[in-house]
Amino acid sequence: MEAKDTTATSSKIDPYLSSPSSTVSEGEFVLLIFPDKRQYFAQALKSQRGKSPSLKINKRSYSTHMLIGLSYGSVLELQKNSLVPLPEGEDVIPNHQDLSIDTEQPTDNTEANDNRHLVDSNTSQGLSIEELAKMRDDKDISGAEIVDKIIQNSSTFQNKTSFSKAKYIKKKQMKYQPRCRIVKCTSASVCEALFIKDARRIMNLREDSLGQILSYSNVTAGSKVLVFDTCMGLITGALAQRMGGYGSIHAVYTGMQPSYIDVIARFNLNFMEHNSIRWVHAGYLFHDEINTQEKLEGDDLDKIEREKVTWPCHLQPHTEKYLLKMESEKKRLEFLQKRCGRFARKLTRPTLDETFASLKDGKKCDSLIIASQYDPKETLTTLLPFLETSCPFVVFSEYMEPLLECFEMLQKEKLAINIRLSDTWLREYQVLPNRTHPNMTMSQNGGFILTGVKLCPIHGINELDEDLMKEIRAEMGTRRGGKKRKNCPRGGEENKLLKKKPSMR
Amino acid sequence: MDFAKKLTDYENVTTKSGVRILETKKDVDENDEKAKLENLLLEQANKAASDLFLGSGSRLFSTIKTLSEDSVVRDKDHLIDAKLYPTKLLPPSSIIEAGSLVVIFESFDSLNFVYATPGEVFHNKNGHFHHDDFIGKPYGCKIRSRNNRGFGFLYLLRPTPELWARSLNHRTQIVHELDSAIVIFNLNIRPNMVVCESGTGSGAMSHCIMRAIAPHGKLHTYEFNQMRAHTAKEEFKRNGVDHLVDVHWRDVCGKPSAESTSNDGRETKEGESLTFGSGGFDIGPAAADAIFLDLPEPWLAIPHAAHTIKPNGGLCSYSPCMEQTQRTCQAMRDYGFHSLKTIEVRLREHYVDEVELEKVPTFKLPRDMNVNNYVPGQSVSPVPSNNGESGPEAKDMEVDTNKKEEETKDSKEVKEPVSKKRMLGCRPFSNMRGHTAFLTFAKAGNKSYPDPLKE
Repeated sequence: MEAKDTTATSSKIDPYLSSPSSTVSEGEFVLLIFPDKRQYFAQALKSQRGKSPSLKINKRSYSTHMLIGLSYGSVLELQKNSLVPLPEGEDVIPNHQDLSIDTEQPTDNTEANDNRHLVDSNTSQGLSIEELAKMRDDKDISGAEIVDKIIQNSSTFQNKTSFSKAKYIKKKQMKYQPRCRIVKCTSASVCEALFIKDARRIMNLREDSLGQILSYSNVTAGSKVLVFDTCMGLITGALAQRMGGYGSIHAVYTGMQPSYIDVIARFNLNFMEHNSIRWVHAGYLFHDEINTQEKLEGDDLDKIEREKVTWPCHLQPHTEKYLLKMESEKKRLEFLQKRCGRFARKLTRPTLDETFASLKDGKKCDSLIIASQYDPKETLTTLLPFLETSCPFVVFSEYMEPLLECFEMLQKEKLAINIRLSDTWLREYQVLPNRTHPNMTMSQNGGFILTGVKLCPIHGINELDEDLMKEIRAEMGTRRGGKKRKNCPRGGEENKLLKKKPSMR
Repeated sequence: MDFAKKLTDYENVTTKSGVRILETKKDVDENDEKAKLENLLLEQANKAASDLFLGSGSRLFSTIKTLSEDSVVRDKDHLIDAKLYPTKLLPPSSIIEAGSLVVIFESFDSLNFVYATPGEVFHNKNGHFHHDDFIGKPYGCKIRSRNNRGFGFLYLLRPTPELWARSLNHRTQIVHELDSAIVIFNLNIRPNMVVCESGTGSGAMSHCIMRAIAPHGKLHTYEFNQMRAHTAKEEFKRNGVDHLVDVHWRDVCGKPSAESTSNDGRETKEGESLTFGSGGFDIGPAAADAIFLDLPEPWLAIPHAAHTIKPNGGLCSYSPCMEQTQRTCQAMRDYGFHSLKTIEVRLREHYVDEVELEKVPTFKLPRDMNVNNYVPGQSVSPVPSNNGESGPEAKDMEVDTNKKEEETKDSKEVKEPVSKKRMLGCRPFSNMRGHTAFLTFAKAGNKSYPDPLKE
């Protein structure tokens, strides 16, 4: 509905695909990001059945219903029992009065303090651990007061340089006055959070690699994408978000059913975006060809079953009887709620055969993305025929060696062109007045990417027959060899052309 | 480019589901248990339908409720009937037609482009290639030159923003594909968004943004150089993407431009409607979902960006120098932007080679080989015989280096063919792009800023 007030063409735009909301709505997943890089996923939920779903941070639980309605980007302070939203303008690192203005403005070299008298004796803090723990448990003392006390009781604080003071206060504030920011779950933030949490589970897929995969695969609204992703569904979710519900994403899965629902839920996809993901079982693609054919000829049992029911799925006599016998209205309601939800999903879900048919029939895929734990070479050989010619494919791997095999195969069998094997180096900087430098630690690797453009299997290999080639080579030999160049005017001409043309990139 | 094409509707199983909101009866007999149950089922079915389509946490749920009460049938159906949401796909296209944009792949680092025109010829160092040969062929084909008996060849590829950027005549330094991928990803640019970009430059980045905002989004691209703004506009039109972009000939930093004075009063070329403007993004307050700045003095544009951007919208500044970045960061902080993040990315490309590793020769030098026995040019007897004659004095023996070489050569001849270990190896390119720019990302605060021009 929001699209209506921004564009005049809103009648053509689906109401679901309006531009994103700037406040947290119920049921949405958000990220709470702390300045010390800790990140928590939280789902904004109203309390259900008297119990409020809680979020555990620092061994304390907080209820998440207060997140509903807050604007993205706002700052929360973790107080004793609750998350308290702070007014606009507050930062995740609170301002502190001891931080004189001189840190903000470049100082001339008048800084009197340095660390020449600093002795690392571990006695500079006057407060004991017990005293601190007591203050932390006391409800009446706020985090800011604890930070002040610590500063007052530090014997070395006054001798620090102003930069060092700022760093000290920041450190204490992060611990005793923790604040976090509500961040929207986007492909970038979800990927970053999962990468920080456990990179190995998402195959070391760093956010810049994911960004590259989305760009190099040339996906756009309306693309037909084939993706084989064992990074917990991260790529599939990111694709659905990038394509905004237009087009179709054929996601290959193994096992009994797709198991990435919880990561995909974090993208807060709407119905159309969800619906653009079609789960294709790997068996349809990787099983022997003959068997696949047989299977498709047989009856699609799921489809037959689905066609038996029509919305709103009126009650069968025995179900009706069962429900009427129920004592409480509440139980009846719960039963119907579950039943309707189940039928609604069933009716809108394509069967396995149908998803495979939609992949196989009609137009070929516009992009192919492989980021799986399985042998990339075999996967690529099997999936490449589904790709339209001159369309890009991207293979991602945690290791480089499997990609080398793919690279060699593609080159030798002339399946693709513009093949590139790369990885990225990503460095973050601290940019502050007089204190700009790269961060002390950085991620060393974010995975390897192999990308290329598929060649037409018929017209892409337009080779001359060998006899002609030999003949031409024999002629050319004089020209290319450079010995008899003068006798060959045409060659000279072409060389001039070569010189005239500025080299491209 | 593919995203320039109009999406076509495809039916899919979801559209046939029939799941929708149904009328509930308003007056139900309190004593009729069956009717009550039926109504309860309908209520729950409606709730399930709206949960499914709109998400359980939907903002639109309340709208549906009120709609069904007011019995506005058209709107109700519109909101809930899955039939209205068929899968939208790009039309299939694999054949090059007259007028199609074709990227010409000469070699890995030499790309070009043409618009296939009957009768025209493309020349390069490999030969003459006739456009007539291109038309009717599928993208991804290999074309042989008509001269040189077909010795020269090139590949014809479907254009993508990345290939376009590489084949393009660079009017300015372009944003390379790695940087553009990172920027679009981190700004979370999605379909139907409104995005601002300054400056347009060669239009490489613009194409990447447009790919992400298709099919109904809008890119406002600002360029203060008149020639570049006009060329970009023509180019967008020729590539069929002009419905996604508005080219503004404007200096967003608000400085008087040399062109603006020299071109005042001069008639613009026919059919062109660009007029020079100065200062800010002229699309109104809180109108852009994301802003990308590639300017020499980005800090001057920050106040304007703060006015134009939506709350929590993404801002990115692309500057090659750290000094620019520092000033920009300071300006961003002053104008309520938060979550600042400055990064630098580099692409490391690799060659893949087939490596053959020879085993280290295991041949051992004979102990009793006397230097004096050695006659240059005469081949030394094979290893085993020497070994047999070895004596205890051999330890102190000096070995001529020449001899050593001779020995190994000989031993090679004698031995079985050297066993080699075959494997694939990769080595990084010897040169890389060491630095493109520092990318600074920030999120807009929720406070709105007035238009700096009106202050």
